[in-house]
Amino acid sequence: MSHTPFILAAYLISAVVLFWAAIAPIVNKRSLLRQLKNRQARMDKSQ
Amino acid sequence: MNPIFLFFHKTGSPPWFYKYSGKLIPWLWAIFLVLTAYGLYLGLVVAPADYQQGESVRIMYLHVPTAWMSMMIYGLMAIMGFIALVWRIRIMEVLVISSAPVGAAFTMIALITGSLWGRPTWGTYWVWDARLTSELVLLFLYFGVIALYNAFDEPRKAARAASLMSIVGAINLPIIYFSVEWWNTLHQGSSMGSSGTGIHPSMLLPLLLMATATKFYYGANLLSRARLTLLKQDHRKRWVQDVLSKESH
Amino acid sequence: MSRQATGTAFVALLRRDFLLAYRRRAELLQPLVFLLVVVTLFPLGVGPSPTLLANIAPGVIWIAALLATVLSLDSLFRSDFEDGTLEQMVLSGQSLALIALARTVAHWLVAGLPIVLLSPLLAMWMNLPDEGLLILIESLAIGTPVLSLIGAIGGALTVSLKRGGQLLSLLVFPLYVPLLILATSAVSSAVVDLPYTGQLGLMVAGLIASLTLAPFATAAALKLSLS
Repeated sequence: MSHTPFILAAYLISAVVLFWAAIAPIVNKRSLLRQLKNRQARMDKSQ
Repeated sequence: MNPIFLFFHKTGSPPWFYKYSGKLIPWLWAIFLVLTAYGLYLGLVVAPADYQQGESVRIMYLHVPTAWMSMMIYGLMAIMGFIALVWRIRIMEVLVISSAPVGAAFTMIALITGSLWGRPTWGTYWVWDARLTSELVLLFLYFGVIALYNAFDEPRKAARAASLMSIVGAINLPIIYFSVEWWNTLHQGSSMGSSGTGIHPSMLLPLLLMATATKFYYGANLLSRARLTLLKQDHRKRWVQDVLSKESH
Repeated sequence: MSRQATGTAFVALLRRDFLLAYRRRAELLQPLVFLLVVVTLFPLGVGPSPTLLANIAPGVIWIAALLATVLSLDSLFRSDFEDGTLEQMVLSGQSLALIALARTVAHWLVAGLPIVLLSPLLAMWMNLPDEGLLILIESLAIGTPVLSLIGAIGGALTVSLKRGGQLLSLLVFPLYVPLLILATSAVSSAVVDLPYTGQLGLMVAGLIASLTLAPFATAAALKLSLS
C-alpha cells in the first residue's frame, strides 16, 4: 500500500485545521469592529 | 517601582495588552512560518524514511509536536487558571479561555494524524492504545471546558468556571494517562509509534523544529484570540472606541 | 468556629438532606430504575449468550453505574440553589467544604449505596461468575463514593446553568475514566483468578484523595456559581 495518500491527507488536514484556527479570530475581529462601527454610526446619527 | 511588577501590572490593563500584543503577533507568525518551512523541508525532503515504517513516519513530524502541544496547553490553562482564580487577574482569565480552542485544535490534529499514521503502518485507523485513547479523553476535557465557558451568561464568571474545570482536569490528566496506559498493557493492544527506540538525529532535528514552531503558533493564535475576547468584553469602554477609530479605515 | 459547632452542623446538614430525600423519594428512584433498565438493554442488544454477557459484565455494570450517578448528580445542589438556601449556607460562615462534603455524603448514601446493594441483581442478569461478585460489590462500594465526590464538583459548577445536566455528564465522564478502568479490571481479574488487590488498593487511594481534595473544589465551584 502506498503511504503517500496518508501522508498527504495528514498534512493537508493539519494545514486546513491550523489555518482555520488561525484566521478565525482575525475574521471575527474584523466583523466585530465593523459591527461596532455601524452601531456607533447609528447612535451618532440618532443624536 | 520594581520593573517586573510594573510589567505584570501593565499587562493587566486591556488597552496596554491589546496594543503590545498586536505588535508581537506578526513576529510570532513570522518565526512560526520560518521554523515550519525549515522543519518540513528537513522532515519531508532531507530525512530518510524509516527502516520499519517506511514513508509514513513523516507523519510523525506533525503528530508528535501537536500531541505535545495538546498536553502543554492544557497544563498552561491549569496554571493560568490557578493564577486567575487565586489573584483574580482578568487577563489570565482571558488567556485561559483563549487557549482552549487552540488546544482542542491541536488535540484533533494529533488524533487525526495518529489515525492516518496507523493505517499504512500498523493496518488500522484506530486502536485503543494508550496514547490515542488518552488524547481522545483529553479532547473531551477540552470540549468540556469550552462548553462550560459558553454555558454562562457572564463572561468573567464563565472564565472562572472554565479555569476551575481546567485545574480539576489537569490534576486528573496524569492519572487518566497512566490508568489508560496500564489498561492498555493489560489488554496487550498494539502500540502506535516506536517509543523508546533512539531517534536518529536526522529525524530529531525536524521534529524539534516542528515542536518549537507549534509553540510560536500557539503564542500568536493565543494573543490573537485574547485580543478579540477583550474587544468583545470591553466593547463599551473608551479604549475600544479609540481602537475603533484607529483601526477601521 | 468551635469543633463542636462544626460537627453539629455536619450532622444537621445530613439530617436535613435525608429528610428532603425522603420527601422526594420517587425522584430518587429514577436513576436506580435507569440503572436497571440500562443493564437490561445490553443482553437485549448484544444477545443473551452467557459467555458474551459474562465477558462484558464488569464493564456494563460499571458504565450503568456511571450513567445512573450522573443522572442523580444534576439535582445535587439545584433545589437549594433555586430557593436561596445555598446562598444562606455560603453566608453562614461554616466551612463551605464541610457543607459540600455533607451534601456529597448524603448523595452517596441515597444514590450510590443503592447501586452497591443492587449490584448482585445486576451481576446475575449479566451472568457474572460467582468469583467476581464479591469484588464487584467491593469495587462499587469503594468507587461510588468517588463518583459522588468528583461528580459534586461538576454539579456545583453547573448548578447555576439552565441546561446544566447534559454539560455535567460531559464534564465528569473523562474524570471517571481511571476509576472505570481500575474497577472493571479488578472484577475481570477476580473472575479468572488473577490478582486484583492492586487495583482495589489504587481505588482506595483514589477515594482518600478525592475525600480530602474534592470538597474544596466543590466549595470553590459553589462560591463561583453563586457569585
